[in-house]
Amino acid sequence: MHGDLGEILTLWSTIPFAGMLLSIALFPLFAPKFWHHHFGKTSAFWSLVAVVPFTLLYKGQAVHEFLHIVLADYVPFVILLSALYTVSGNILLRGTLVGTPVLNTGIIIIGTVLASWMGTTGAAMLLIRPFLRANSHRKNRTFMVVFFIFLVANIGGSLTPLGDPPLFLGFLRGVPFFWTFELLHQMVVAVVILLVIYFFMDLYFYRKEGIKTVSDSSEKERLRIDGLHNLIFLAGIVVAVLMSGVMHWGEISIIGVHRATADVVRDGVLILLAVLSMLTTRKEIREDNEFTWFPIQEVAILFIGIFLTMMPCLKILQAGEKGALAFLIEAVREPYHYFWITGILSSFLDNAPTYLTFLSSLLGKYHPGVEAREAVALLIKEYSIYLKAVSAGAVFFGANTYIGNAPNFMVRSIAEETGTPMPSFFGYMLKYSIPILVPVFIIVTAVFYL
Amino acid sequence: MIEKILFPTKFRELSFNSLAQLFSLKEAGLKEIVLCHVISRDDVGFVPFGGYLKEEENRLREEAMIRFEDWQKSLEERGIGSRVLIKVGEPVPQILHAAEDEKADLVVVGKKKKTVELSFAGSNTIEIVTRSKVPVLVSKYHVSYDVEGEHLEKINDHIFERPMLICDWSEPSMRALDTLKSFQSVIEEAIVFHDINVEEAHKKHAGTLDEIKKVSIEKLDLLCEELQQEGASCETHLGAGKISSEILRISRDRHATMIIMGTSGKGRLSEFIHGSVSHNIVRESELPTLLVT
Repeated sequence: MHGDLGEILTLWSTIPFAGMLLSIALFPLFAPKFWHHHFGKTSAFWSLVAVVPFTLLYKGQAVHEFLHIVLADYVPFVILLSALYTVSGNILLRGTLVGTPVLNTGIIIIGTVLASWMGTTGAAMLLIRPFLRANSHRKNRTFMVVFFIFLVANIGGSLTPLGDPPLFLGFLRGVPFFWTFELLHQMVVAVVILLVIYFFMDLYFYRKEGIKTVSDSSEKERLRIDGLHNLIFLAGIVVAVLMSGVMHWGEISIIGVHRATADVVRDGVLILLAVLSMLTTRKEIREDNEFTWFPIQEVAILFIGIFLTMMPCLKILQAGEKGALAFLIEAVREPYHYFWITGILSSFLDNAPTYLTFLSSLLGKYHPGVEAREAVALLIKEYSIYLKAVSAGAVFFGANTYIGNAPNFMVRSIAEETGTPMPSFFGYMLKYSIPILVPVFIIVTAVFYL
Repeated sequence: MIEKILFPTKFRELSFNSLAQLFSLKEAGLKEIVLCHVISRDDVGFVPFGGYLKEEENRLREEAMIRFEDWQKSLEERGIGSRVLIKVGEPVPQILHAAEDEKADLVVVGKKKKTVELSFAGSNTIEIVTRSKVPVLVSKYHVSYDVEGEHLEKINDHIFERPMLICDWSEPSMRALDTLKSFQSVIEEAIVFHDINVEEAHKKHAGTLDEIKKVSIEKLDLLCEELQQEGASCETHLGAGKISSEILRISRDRHATMIIMGTSGKGRLSEFIHGSVSHNIVRESELPTLLVT
């Protein structure tokens, strides 16, 4: 047996993680067709590059660490995302909506509120098609989808662990369910500024397009929600996740990995709720929602690669100043450092692993060697501003690029499919995120972190 | 009358041969065939952390158009109108929606090449057959199959020459009869079949079987007369025993070229619980099968 792996691992061991994240960042940009057909093989490649040498070197200890990250982090992560995706995919908003600045702002507000309770993916999938349909008569739609990505697919998910994957990973590590409400003020500031900007942009284009009234001759379908009973399952998901954070029913061992019984029960309940949702909802609702398993399969395939390759990196960071990434831990000192570093990396890498990386670096810095849950509790008690910075950075900055958060690409894909032109990767950044989002984040920094 | 047909295709081998089997319906009043190709959304959408492969969609559309243009020429030469429909999405719902939107009288689906698999219909075909509100012809152009240990291969052409109508006097089977009549001008001889459930008859009381047999023959004869009056020759057959096996046996013995039957369209749950004769025939018979809801 080796002692603390994090203290002896070299920087080389983080290469597969870097390779995995760079693949996610670069392939969709430069070789999208290749990536579309081979992302699974790419994920498998980097996983093997991480797992094989690590297992040969550290044998049983390595196997245990990999099993632990898969069973304690990856499996619950995929189960939660799948459950939210499934239940929200069974809810369909029908009817004729006519996109005006007020209505559009209203839809985005509803999505932003829902995002914390049904996940950014769930809220985005629920509303993007009605949002696009409502605005099909509008000439300038691109900015609408971009603001939808900003608010519904990202910033709206700040308030609960259900909202955005990074926060759920924090929850799994011991961050209390309602602690994330501490981000409310920051979220409100960002949301209000963005909504005001959006409303006036929409109003400007609405007037410029010369839209006065929509023809009465067009057939209007009454507004209604199909599959409404799925709200019960959605509430069940909230209760199940909440329960797992509150109840303490001891631990059980699954192939040598200790897991809280309440967590295992939660995962079982989430699967059950998803199955019940599928069984009790007419297939036609999913079809009209254009529901497909493909996006969630993609997430499951890519994230097994991310979690397996991430393990050595997390271990090094958890070792704090005794690990090979001590220079990083020493360099990042102030809360605003954490907000921006976590944020900038979350913009270009997926925000879930980025969050976990910087949460681990905080634990390594302030509570090295302390068991993870205990260390998280101490961190919240003594240095909660840092955790707020990491959480807000990971969630907010996910909106900066198409690759910052999984729902971004789903929204983009649906918008493009239905004929809304979307900017390129760099166009999105240059036209929207840098001029609009970055100033908002500077204001958030000035108000909350300086 | 079958005036408009929806013909979805994935451009698999022998697809055109399957389409060509429909040309003879021109004589029966066929006016237009809507050629439909569905590009699966999974092939072009949801690129992980990317977006939508618009160029790929355009390429697939252009390829489909070029292939369809070739087919359209053949249809035009035969005086049959045609239109092209290329959609992106999930194949089954897109085909079902297209059938309703186009007000098609018939949808033609199924495997068009020989198969060594046990089933002659895949899951998508069965789903379309189950859910369609429009009659569905499951086309099986080139088939290979086993009969009593012997391996056989067959080309199903001239499929409308000797259709075999499965009749149980239910409303769907009467609608199947109406569909059969709609293309009777291209029929050489129709076969009308009914199966008696002997076990069920014996359970009632002695003499029931003879009575059922007599009534069934009379009804079959009446049906045949009805068809003959409209100009098609006809033969009747009575089967006894397991209905699926009887349909397969008689269809082979009498050299049927197609099986036509009604289906209640009760859906998956009902099929799971009770089984479905029509779905069994779609899966097991080597003949094209036309199901009428």
